[in-house]
Amino acid sequence: MVAIADDLPLPPRRFSLASAIRRNPTIAFGGILLFLLIAVAVIGPSFVGDPLKIAPVNRLRPPSERWWFGTDQFGRDLFTRSIYGSRVSLIVGLSVAAFSSVLGLALGLACGYFRAFDAIVMRVMDGLMAIPSILLAIALITLTRPGLGIVIVAIVIPEVPRIVRVVRAVVLSIRAQPYIESAIAGGTRNAKLLWRHVLPNTLAPLIVQATYVCASAMLIEAGLSFLGAGVPPEVPSWGNIIAQGRTFFQIAPWSILIPGGFLALTVLAVNLLGDGLRDRLDPRLARRL
Amino acid sequence: MSGNPGAILEVRDLATQFDTLDGVVRAVDGVSFDLERGETLGIVGESGCGKSVTALSILRLIPPETGRIAAGSIRFEGEELTTLSEEAMKRLRGHRISMIFQEPMTSLNPVLTVGTQIAENVVRHMGVSKKAARERAREMLDLVRIADSKRRLDEYPHQLSGGMRQRVMIAMALSCDPQVLIADEPTTALDVTIQAQILDLMLDLKEKTGTAIVLITHDLGVVAETSRRVVVMYAGRKVEEAPVEALFDNPLHPYTRGLMRAIPRLDVDAEEGGRRPRLQEIPGMVPLLTRPIVGCAFAARCSLATERCRAEPPPVVDAGGGHTVACWEVTP
Amino acid sequence: MTVLAVDRLVKHFPIHGGLLQRRVGAVKAVDGVNFAIAKGETLGLVGESGCGKSTVGKTILKLIEPTSGRIVLGGEDITALKPGAMWPHRRRIQTIFQDPYSSMNPRLSAGTIVGEPLENFDIARGRERDERVAALFERVGLRPDSMRKYAHEFSGGQRQRLGIAKALSVNPDVIVADEPVSALDVSVQAQVLNLLIDLQEELGLAYLFISHDLAVMRHISHRIAVMYLGRIVELTDKRTLFARPLHPYTEALLSAATAPDPRRQRRKRAIVQGDVPSPAKPPPGCHFHTRCPYAVADCKVKDPPLREVAPGHHVACHLR
Repeated sequence: MVAIADDLPLPPRRFSLASAIRRNPTIAFGGILLFLLIAVAVIGPSFVGDPLKIAPVNRLRPPSERWWFGTDQFGRDLFTRSIYGSRVSLIVGLSVAAFSSVLGLALGLACGYFRAFDAIVMRVMDGLMAIPSILLAIALITLTRPGLGIVIVAIVIPEVPRIVRVVRAVVLSIRAQPYIESAIAGGTRNAKLLWRHVLPNTLAPLIVQATYVCASAMLIEAGLSFLGAGVPPEVPSWGNIIAQGRTFFQIAPWSILIPGGFLALTVLAVNLLGDGLRDRLDPRLARRL
Repeated sequence: MSGNPGAILEVRDLATQFDTLDGVVRAVDGVSFDLERGETLGIVGESGCGKSVTALSILRLIPPETGRIAAGSIRFEGEELTTLSEEAMKRLRGHRISMIFQEPMTSLNPVLTVGTQIAENVVRHMGVSKKAARERAREMLDLVRIADSKRRLDEYPHQLSGGMRQRVMIAMALSCDPQVLIADEPTTALDVTIQAQILDLMLDLKEKTGTAIVLITHDLGVVAETSRRVVVMYAGRKVEEAPVEALFDNPLHPYTRGLMRAIPRLDVDAEEGGRRPRLQEIPGMVPLLTRPIVGCAFAARCSLATERCRAEPPPVVDAGGGHTVACWEVTP
Repeated sequence: MTVLAVDRLVKHFPIHGGLLQRRVGAVKAVDGVNFAIAKGETLGLVGESGCGKSTVGKTILKLIEPTSGRIVLGGEDITALKPGAMWPHRRRIQTIFQDPYSSMNPRLSAGTIVGEPLENFDIARGRERDERVAALFERVGLRPDSMRKYAHEFSGGQRQRLGIAKALSVNPDVIVADEPVSALDVSVQAQVLNLLIDLQEELGLAYLFISHDLAVMRHISHRIAVMYLGRIVELTDKRTLFARPLHPYTEALLSAATAPDPRRQRRKRAIVQGDVPSPAKPPPGCHFHTRCPYAVADCKVKDPPLREVAPGHHVACHLR
């Protein structure tokens, strides 16, 4: 009989939070920042007042003890409005990321698997990518009534090709892996091959790409609101606040800088998280993309 | 310390370490050997035995972010290399000591022509004109028997076959008349017939130029056919050193013996009565280099090992005629 | 008893080029290959990179569709079978890959990988599957309790044992082993070769053993086919091949191979010069004539057929 080969050489490494943070500082920093922003968006509004309350007496007050972030031209408290605004941004960012991931994953898997389907769908995707996403979104919104839902749909459509491309590329590279051939030779059939061997490997790059889509969706939403094509002007979103503050920028710069800063901080948090995850989940992929 | 006047390169108690997430890896752990002028020294061992790290250490090419030469000395023509400035090392590399690697494609720049790359090296080290350097490059391509050298000078690495690229690497390595050439698995990526061509070429050129060669390989066949002396490494340590005939006729270390019996033989018909014989296996596997090894590194896999082997580092036993072995249990 | 026969097997990979991606040529990876393997026999397929030996293996496994020719597995012609119709036949032909690192899904446990074919063919599920997998682990020299570990937690040699266990799980008749030991260190290589020989003698397996290493070939094969640029140039039993090679290419291979014997270096070797031509543009006539020291005018125009020059000894050369 064959001798039992020696036991495995690697000792298990113990997991500790401190060393995890030390090893992945970008993930930790981005993750914590994003967590704080989400917490603000979820529970913040219950602690602040009414974002729509107009007080013409207190128009364009600079930041002070009473109005932390100052007030706008109608005397509305910008702190309250900014907190509410974070809700819109995060809802748009997260839902666009979620919807475009699901749609992009399905299309990408199909493209990587069926050549005829691939030829058609990828040309459509190329077409979509050739149109600036903000213009496409404006065009879609003008067809209907403005609202949060339609903004999300309008951003999802131009973002889907980015996901499809990544998923398709990953599927194609996985299909060329020897372990796929090995599975086929071992009698594994298509459905199981897809579910067990291909799908799990697409998740890491998908999550990474989703974070970028999330960041870009928040920027597009702000852009749309700024142009007046996004959420209705009565809803306090960062884009709306900036749009309304722009006429008074020279006398009340805080009304733009503060929501702008929030937006930048949120996008930064999401991007840091994405970069960290990319490096952590697959260092080779990071170089390839 | 330096007692060997014939030696061009003396490595003493070299220890090279790398930092990893699992701890400090002792990739090379107290290795000593001499390289004499004009000789071919083979360093042989399995993956992870430290043979390539030894080569990189000699050229001080250990990435400083993760690794370091922790102890020992490397003397080249009496000059200590471990403490030499980086500037002086740069003048040395590719000039008086040069190196060729396993995969020539990764060590050639894909966007420069072959001629430019060889000439650059010549200009840098010999301080000659560009024109003279190009002429030298052409000479070198002729020397490594690349036909139609004038045309080949203007080709890019991807236009050449694997064997041809390795020839270019050799041409580049020899372009400044080095005293020492370090070849790290130079033929491992090549096909058998091409490997034979390259080995032949290297030995021929050594005769012509008198360059001493350190040939690093995992292939006992390559060592047997090219080297004059052989160093056998295991787990970062030198376990045996001998003239090539002595090593193959009379291997002393249990690891060397095990290796020799584990390889299928091309030149011997080993079949008895139509049955294929079993190869001798070396049980177990190479120890982890992240933990300090007390005693002999091979003790865990050795059939002769005693308590003493596991507790104390083995002495270097001199078997005469330049044959030494690090083992408690071998009596020459 | 023949378990696998291949007749005039051809695989051409089209080369597309130009603006419209039209077919501009073909890489003739396999260009008319014949052989048969009997139960309990190892046929070695040896050759240098690009000679088409791996493509032969993949085509037989129907991982690649053949361009023409016939593949007969256990008496049944599987050449034209579509993936669905091929599926039941996969039980009889299994494979071991060269690279034990990339041929295992890094996200699955070793037990899942080895037991996958058992599930696929509905041979065993649940506990029964686990028991079978444990027995397979033991058979190939792995601890059954390492089933829950992931592939990357095993060493190279152990992973190759996993690959062997997986191939054995469905009791195949034929195993195509594509360079199964070339990624392994010498001492581990010996363990895997011994295991393969033991299993063959115990189970009567037929191996198509693909390798570039002549010494490994000599050790494990019964008969050896030498390939050059998509064709078999010599096919005979191993003793004859090493004692009396007839094809000039076989001679060149044997002469070029190194052996652990320092006295051989004194001997002047007959080294063939030049490189292997591209399989996209193989030379006309005998593919080897560009490097052959004996080539005559005929070799440049006429294809030498693979002829039986002595019982069981086939050579494709005009001069023999």
